[in-house]
Amino acid sequence: MKVDIKHIAKLSRLKIEDDKLLKFEKDMEAIVNMVEKLPDVEGELKLDTENPMTLREDVAVQNKFSRDELLKNAPEVQAGCLVVPKTVE
Amino acid sequence: MKLYEKSAFELTQMLKEKKCSSLEIVEDVSKRILEVEDKVGAFVTLNIDNAKEQAKTIDEKISKNQAVSLLAGIPIGVKDNISTKGINTTCSSKMLENYIPPFNATVVNKLNESEAIIIGKMNMDEFAMGSSTETSFMHLTKNPHDLERVPGGSSGGSAACIASGEAIISLGSDTGGSIRQPAALCGVVGLKPTYGSVSRYGLIAFASSLDQIGPFGKSVKDVALLQTVINGYDKMDATSKNIVYPNLLEGLNENIKGLKIGIPKEYFGEGIEEEVKTSVMNAIKLLEANGAIVKEISLPTTPFAINTYYVIASAEASSNLARFDGVKYGYRAKEYDNLVDMYEKTRSEGFGDEVKRRIMLGTFVLSSGFYDAYYKKAKIVQRKITEEFVEAFKDVDVIASPTVPSTAFKIGENFGDPLKMYYSDVCTVTANIAGIPSISVPCGKDSKGLPIGLQFFGDKFKEQTILNVSYAYEKLSGGFDCMSKII
Repeated sequence: MKVDIKHIAKLSRLKIEDDKLLKFEKDMEAIVNMVEKLPDVEGELKLDTENPMTLREDVAVQNKFSRDELLKNAPEVQAGCLVVPKTVE
Repeated sequence: MKLYEKSAFELTQMLKEKKCSSLEIVEDVSKRILEVEDKVGAFVTLNIDNAKEQAKTIDEKISKNQAVSLLAGIPIGVKDNISTKGINTTCSSKMLENYIPPFNATVVNKLNESEAIIIGKMNMDEFAMGSSTETSFMHLTKNPHDLERVPGGSSGGSAACIASGEAIISLGSDTGGSIRQPAALCGVVGLKPTYGSVSRYGLIAFASSLDQIGPFGKSVKDVALLQTVINGYDKMDATSKNIVYPNLLEGLNENIKGLKIGIPKEYFGEGIEEEVKTSVMNAIKLLEANGAIVKEISLPTTPFAINTYYVIASAEASSNLARFDGVKYGYRAKEYDNLVDMYEKTRSEGFGDEVKRRIMLGTFVLSSGFYDAYYKKAKIVQRKITEEFVEAFKDVDVIASPTVPSTAFKIGENFGDPLKMYYSDVCTVTANIAGIPSISVPCGKDSKGLPIGLQFFGDKFKEQTILNVSYAYEKLSGGFDCMSKII
């Protein structure tokens, strides 16, 4: 099956350079052809009742980290805030 | 025998008996790293100075006859997707090249409590996506038994450092075989524990429902020891199982009289190299000759496991890797026109091709119109594969198979052909799909001198059973010779 790489890349917030588009298309086609060979199984998607995930209690989390510590890894910071391009005109 | 060639178990005994110091161990391992790391390339980051300081503290405790913990003074390598506070954790990706975690993964806290010494962070396939460590943005890792070949992956650095003597034990993570496959190709022991037995808190997620952290070592004892240190309930991981975890080292037992070993015919069919098949069958015959009962079984849905795996793992990856957007941490593109352009350029420049392929495959199988045919179906097949294991374990105690269809392949041989690369995980993915424990132990070498891996699957939380049969095999075969002879 042919996959519209440009469309899927857009959904994935990726840009595929033109010179790589063909290779990605070919690879993805081969991969999709492989994974689509799934048997026709009867059954419904059931939750794993044997191993339910436990939700955490709805209580305030102790703040283990300082703001400065967390912002150290951010690409751009100003006045203790993350900087992003303008989103509202 | 050099200190770096010894097992963690032997070294802990020597430390107790004051036959060597922790500083001597760390210095011997560091010297070995200086000698061979240029050839092997197992590390992303070294932590030698800190390691020496820690060793001195432990030596002082021992000299004062104070009690020390289980892994006191033992140098350990940690895969570079496990968060280490203050030490770069890159996932071998340009995206996280400069990322320094502000917290420790739960397993790292446990290593610290056990007084193990982190000697460095180990190279891996980018975001653990690959089977050869060739997708690492950092550099290649070579197989210590043949430097022209891959160490396997994705935990290639964690496996290679054991065979090269650059660490005594190590941690990796296994989503579809990423501990067991490199363990097999590098001729060491590697365990993928039961899903839920080791906390994933601080493990940078690839496919959360399949990922599990686990140990590498030169012997079954070392793997049992390290697993005993890292397992346990953790409230920081919602999938962590709250049960009592046994001391696996104390529980080791080589008696296999009457142990039922299932041999699934689907794991010995087409595509498995003859030399691999022969070695694995010889190992099983040795166990049989010593009291185990061998029985042929069938796990009929196995041929669909690899398809199921790539659908589920990629779907989860596409969601998990959405967090890398150039805002809170990690790489950000230098030039962009607006917010969406920044996201797209950041992700396109920060991720390698294999990561992009998996994100796109995941996005595709979850996209409107395809969800039912791919993701939903894969989840139903996952249930079927799991049920087949549950049924099988009513009849047998362990299931044996090859770990990998072949021995280590040449660098570049499968790179650029995703399907050929994916096939390397064909015998290992089922354990992740079913959430069961599985171990790889060395079972001889092929005619080129390359290690072959023997795999045991066990029922959920039956790590002890697969460790025991591995321990029995280790003793019967005269011990594992993991160390590289060429470097």
